[in-house]
Amino acid sequence: MSEDATQPMILWIDDVDPQQALVLTGAKMGRLAEMSRDGLNIPLAFAITTSGFSRHVQAMGLADVIDERLQGLTAEDSIAVEAAAEAIRQAFRETEMDPDLAAQIEEAYDELSDRCSDLNVPVAVRSSATGEDSSDASFAGIFDTYLGVSGAQRTIEAVRNCWASLFTTRAVDYRLRRGISYTAMPMAVGVVELVHARASGVAFSAHPVTGKTDRIVLEANWGWGEAVVQGLVTPDHVEVGKADGRILKHDVSRKDIVSAFDFAAGAVVEIPMPMRLRERACLDEEQIGAIVQAVLAIEERYGYPVDVEWVVSRHRRAGEPVSIVQSRPVTTEIQQPARVAYDPMALAQKFIFAGGAPR
Amino acid sequence: MATIVSVDEFITDEWYPGFKPAFEHAPYYVEPFRTFNKEDEKRFWFLDFHWPRGLTPLGLIWNEDGYNWGTQYAAENLPLPPGRGLTNRIAGIHLYGSPLDVQSPYEIGERAQRMGPRLGEFLANFEEIWASRRDEVERGWQHFVSMDTSAMSLPELSMMLKEARAYHKRAFEIHFEIMYPLLVNYLGFYGMCAEMGLDVSQIGKFLQGYDTKIMETDRELWKLTRAAKQAGLAETFATTDAADLAATLDAMGGAGAAWMTQFRDFLQVYGYRTEGSCDVALPSWIEDPTPALGTIKSFIAKEEEHDFERALAGAIEEREAAIDAARSQLTAEEQAAFDGGVASCQAANFPWWQDDHNYYIDLKVSLPLRWAARAIAEKTGADQPDDGLFLFWPELTAVADGEKSMDSYKSLIKARHDYFDHWHERRSSMPKVLGTIPEAVTDPVLIEIFGLNQHFLNAIQAAGTDSDVKTLTGVPASKGKARGRARVFNNADNLHTLEPGDILVCESTSPNWTPAFAKIAACVCDSGGMLSHAAIVGREYGVPTVTAVGLATVVIDDGDEVEVDGTTGTVTVFKQS
Repeated sequence: MSEDATQPMILWIDDVDPQQALVLTGAKMGRLAEMSRDGLNIPLAFAITTSGFSRHVQAMGLADVIDERLQGLTAEDSIAVEAAAEAIRQAFRETEMDPDLAAQIEEAYDELSDRCSDLNVPVAVRSSATGEDSSDASFAGIFDTYLGVSGAQRTIEAVRNCWASLFTTRAVDYRLRRGISYTAMPMAVGVVELVHARASGVAFSAHPVTGKTDRIVLEANWGWGEAVVQGLVTPDHVEVGKADGRILKHDVSRKDIVSAFDFAAGAVVEIPMPMRLRERACLDEEQIGAIVQAVLAIEERYGYPVDVEWVVSRHRRAGEPVSIVQSRPVTTEIQQPARVAYDPMALAQKFIFAGGAPR
Repeated sequence: MATIVSVDEFITDEWYPGFKPAFEHAPYYVEPFRTFNKEDEKRFWFLDFHWPRGLTPLGLIWNEDGYNWGTQYAAENLPLPPGRGLTNRIAGIHLYGSPLDVQSPYEIGERAQRMGPRLGEFLANFEEIWASRRDEVERGWQHFVSMDTSAMSLPELSMMLKEARAYHKRAFEIHFEIMYPLLVNYLGFYGMCAEMGLDVSQIGKFLQGYDTKIMETDRELWKLTRAAKQAGLAETFATTDAADLAATLDAMGGAGAAWMTQFRDFLQVYGYRTEGSCDVALPSWIEDPTPALGTIKSFIAKEEEHDFERALAGAIEEREAAIDAARSQLTAEEQAAFDGGVASCQAANFPWWQDDHNYYIDLKVSLPLRWAARAIAEKTGADQPDDGLFLFWPELTAVADGEKSMDSYKSLIKARHDYFDHWHERRSSMPKVLGTIPEAVTDPVLIEIFGLNQHFLNAIQAAGTDSDVKTLTGVPASKGKARGRARVFNNADNLHTLEPGDILVCESTSPNWTPAFAKIAACVCDSGGMLSHAAIVGREYGVPTVTAVGLATVVIDDGDEVEVDGTTGTVTVFKQS
């Protein structure tokens, strides 16, 4: 394992060279660092780097457990793969955090609380996989995220669980089939201030289905964005024209589920939406405008259509920016420039002569 | 698994008793009109709604001139890329139509190349083109309307009959030469609006509020209504049968007779009109004014007079409001295309023409043939003038040319009257479709005029298999279309039992469902939106996905055949009964 003792185990997202962040903390946290530097409204966050992961794995004997469990394993033996993956995850969950790293995380966590003017500030603990293969579609949403973790010890526990998710049966199976080692895709973990969400959701800077780049598409729910991302709720749907910022469509749906903070459990959980909020629009025009502004800035920064997770904080006032908690390239095939002139022959070819006319 | 409806019952060589056509006795452009044979079962046939009564022998010339000449001529000359027009078959006295598809992709491509510039030119010059064709039809009309058949010799009538046939045939060349490109433009615009997410039920409104000849006729009928009330005739209209009104009013003298003079002046302008499309068996209002008088009678019975000005102003206001509402939902880029489409479809306005052209063509151009046929019958000693309508074209021309006597057809005409009555009775039990039901229809006339759209085809497919079709809609989350066996899952426990090509139906998915997307042909979720897990993974794996369907897991049963269209957000369920 390429442990480089000179590399830091903790990095602050708002105070790091974005290039270094991309390498040591993975794409998810690296992009937050880039956007933070560009002046976007990113929550305060630090990350446990891949060096931290390597240090823990080496120092606490997990490397040996992993090697031993994976020894001689083939992807074809699915029962053995599942057993090995479960055993490795259990080892991760049960192995104490490397004391050095634990101390650094505790210190960073306390500093985060101070910077947020809070005690035991609730955070989101997010897996941020690295390595070329981590961007593969097979890993979409597969690694763990814990929302609403509070306290240094619980944070450390959540970090260990995120690491363990590098060894789900699917991930192990995938690496076996491709003949790559887990060391080629070590896991970084982000610890991000949990923005007190009034409403959250996702936004695409191109239509996610048709690929049209002339609009921004938003989906929104009250509370945190988990219910939207997981598809547990039918969210409000908004489309905004990029050229003039006009709202083209604002479909308010019946939202039965909300991701809300459970103080007792110390986590964001999905609960039934209060009746009074179910059929109410969770965004107003000003808020939509602020989200659009942020999404356009991110798209411009990267030069390609983006998929953004945003949060409208409870403390946000009109005119202030919304919070951006994640951004990545859109995977939809992009339809380059939108058709401008009316072309009856092309339309006839498409809608009549090809069969299946929509009448 | 094509659905086939047998044509066996209708296979015959005889069109009506005593008539088997000689080879190429009638004009056609691609394929002639004829009776069914077994081979026809491989093609798709639909019962034509235009003639609910059925057609008499002479009436069938419409099918020769209209479908087998007119549509084929127009489709070949445009040319329509995937089709050569329509053909038809006779079953008893009822008509079944069918598209003549072009099969070769090479030919379709070449035809599209040829059509592109022609369509542009047509749309740009529609007003002029229609005006010149309308003038042509009207010139012909003046030729026939000035003839007095009672004063004509048999050879003169024979000449008139042949001229009337040529006029009829030309009128339907014009009809379809105009109709095809207008419809193509309209349906393309419709498709564009649907794709832009506009409410398609509003599209008709974008094109409304333009005056037609048919509306002009209605206004004149209201004027006559007002005149009748003012002349104190309301009571007479209320108490007299429509069929007896003309005689009663004439007999009244005074106000009644004066009103009838006014009515006859109206008929001279608007009365050359039949109460149905394209059928020599139908009289005009001049021959039988009952329909027009019946309309006036019903108008008089209404308390309030129809305010045409207000209705038209209302229609225009509604049109502009509908266009504004649609535009507000479009991006600036889309607005450019939409505006172009609205302008094009208003200038070359299919819904408007669809009403307007009936006055010039469909309700009128069979009348000169009818007059000639009846005059020939009378001149040659037929029992009644309508007997001329029970001869086929070669028979009637033989009589007109003195080669055959009317007498020689008497028993046959009697048999054909009986044959007509027999099949007329059977109309309600005629199958709606025959032959092989296709996957899709591409002829714009079939789609729009006959309503043979995807929904209809799905419904008859299902009717043929004794099952039940339901359409669900949701959010189009990942584009593409797929059909397969539905597998309904309430949790991920049994996901491994999915087979390649299955359609996953569930409440929602989460990351542990992702591996299933490598296998399934499509995904349907009760909840979620365009950006939820199933939507994102669906797009990444290229699996058509529809979310927010609501009750998919309730309505769809394990094993149902399901078609998912991730581009439109529709899920068609073919229930297994």
